[in-house]
Amino acid sequence: MIYTKKTPWTLVLGIIMVAYAYMVQAGIMEPVIKYLHTSKLVGEMVMLGYVCGGVAVLAGLLQAFTTPKQGNFDYYLSAVGGLAFILVVAFIVKWVLDPQMGAWGKAAAGALGFNFAKVMNLNYVVMGIVAGIITVNVFKIPEWAENGVRMSRLGLKTGVILLGVLYSWEELRNLAGLSVVLIGFFVLGSVGLTLWMGARRNIPNSMSGVLSAGLGVCGVSAAVAAAPVVQAKSTEIAYTIGTILLWGVMCMFLFPIIGKQLGMNYTQFGAWAGTGILNSAQVAGAALAFQPTGIETLKVAEIFNITRILFLPIIVLWLAVWYVKREQTGDRVNLGQVIFAKFPLFVLGFILMFVLGSTGIFAPAQHYKGKYFDNSEKAMVKTDKDGKVHDKRLKDADAEKLKSEMDKIQREDQKAALARLIAEKKVMAPDHDTVLRGIVNSKILSKEATDILKKQHEAVYHTAKKIKMFRTLIVWFFAFGLTGLGMQITMASIKQAGGQPLVIGSVVGAVKAVGSLIVVMLFVTEIV
Amino acid sequence: MKEKFDRGTALSIFKSDRYEDFVALILASVAALLVYIYI
Repeated sequence: MIYTKKTPWTLVLGIIMVAYAYMVQAGIMEPVIKYLHTSKLVGEMVMLGYVCGGVAVLAGLLQAFTTPKQGNFDYYLSAVGGLAFILVVAFIVKWVLDPQMGAWGKAAAGALGFNFAKVMNLNYVVMGIVAGIITVNVFKIPEWAENGVRMSRLGLKTGVILLGVLYSWEELRNLAGLSVVLIGFFVLGSVGLTLWMGARRNIPNSMSGVLSAGLGVCGVSAAVAAAPVVQAKSTEIAYTIGTILLWGVMCMFLFPIIGKQLGMNYTQFGAWAGTGILNSAQVAGAALAFQPTGIETLKVAEIFNITRILFLPIIVLWLAVWYVKREQTGDRVNLGQVIFAKFPLFVLGFILMFVLGSTGIFAPAQHYKGKYFDNSEKAMVKTDKDGKVHDKRLKDADAEKLKSEMDKIQREDQKAALARLIAEKKVMAPDHDTVLRGIVNSKILSKEATDILKKQHEAVYHTAKKIKMFRTLIVWFFAFGLTGLGMQITMASIKQAGGQPLVIGSVVGAVKAVGSLIVVMLFVTEIV
Repeated sequence: MKEKFDRGTALSIFKSDRYEDFVALILASVAALLVYIYI
């Protein structure tokens, strides 16, 4: 079978992307960029426009002017049009719709009494998914783009693997214990509750088994992974997927709104989303929707998500033993074989990236969350392209202001740290910075003096360039994956939910969402 | 779903989850290598 369609659209989309990158680079788009306040995004507009557009142009030329032959090359070439299609939608959403919606929200706040863009959480993640849902359900995905849309999960998995680079030992140590306890409790609890409810309601063992994996572990992938061991029929898998999608999509939109209303911090929301949302893809969506301008929430949410994915082989094994016992088939379950066959390889990729990141090859070894300490003159005093010198060391006027407020400080170590800052005109070491941060957090100085201290902290902590690039790439892999994911959420697939699986799914989904919210609000307070 | 796509599934172009994981691993490694070399 030949998959590549003779279409000009891949080439057209590629040319549009390259042309846009060129116009941004040449300054032609400057009025628009100024109007939308997107000057910070110019770098990614140029890079992604040229790289992705270039690939699409090349593939478009191959599609238009060569005769495809049956095989893998034809199969994967047929996907490029869809990749370009998703990317163009994501570009429009992130570079135009998102800032425009923010401006409209602010403009209408006076008349409405609230910022609708903020309250309804209308950022690029939510709008990207909604754009995808509208595209597939109202306009339909063009035939030449269908194969590309099926690559959106690949984008999400690649994003998760790359995310490994951004963790430090300290963060993982802080999160690991918490996530294992919380996830262990809720995964095992959800699987147990589903199996118990299934037995009470007399649904087939195969249906209970596949539903319990989907509701307990990480959604669609877990349901598909568990299906063969409980000999689930395709209709049972379809019911499970429908139930998970219905709940997942609902939670993805509701969780961030609830999280903001409850004033949750990044760690709390990440822990809640990673535990309470049924499907992996929607965990990333909710985390980025909660914090669209940074990835701290995503990092916490993904640790919880990965922890529960690691439970997958254990749950599959449990279900295999449970099913054999219930059905009394007399088969033997090969423990090693099940664990090997069901272990998610991309989690190993995540661990590999974490190990690589920990060696210090992407950022100085002492970095924490991608930031590292450097108070050398080279880092503190910089000259811009116009020859203007920017000196970040403490200015005399600022030193005088700090001196005048010295009496407000009671603790001797904090007094000494402040005196050292005034004498040396800069923060001298990470420990010194920690004590000064203590002064900031205790809120004993005036706002002006506190701002001076904050500035001095920012002057000595720098984000590694490679880490910055990783952040941009990760956000884009997720933006691509989530927009494509929206294009896979068809009304037909959600309508598959129904009957007993929907009843059980709703009970377990609600218990998991509310239960994890209560546990997180009670026990997770620290910002990691 | 299978009727519409005779390779992969409705959710993925790849024949199995493991194959998809492997491609994601390759893609991420290439991206990391490019960042390491050029940035």
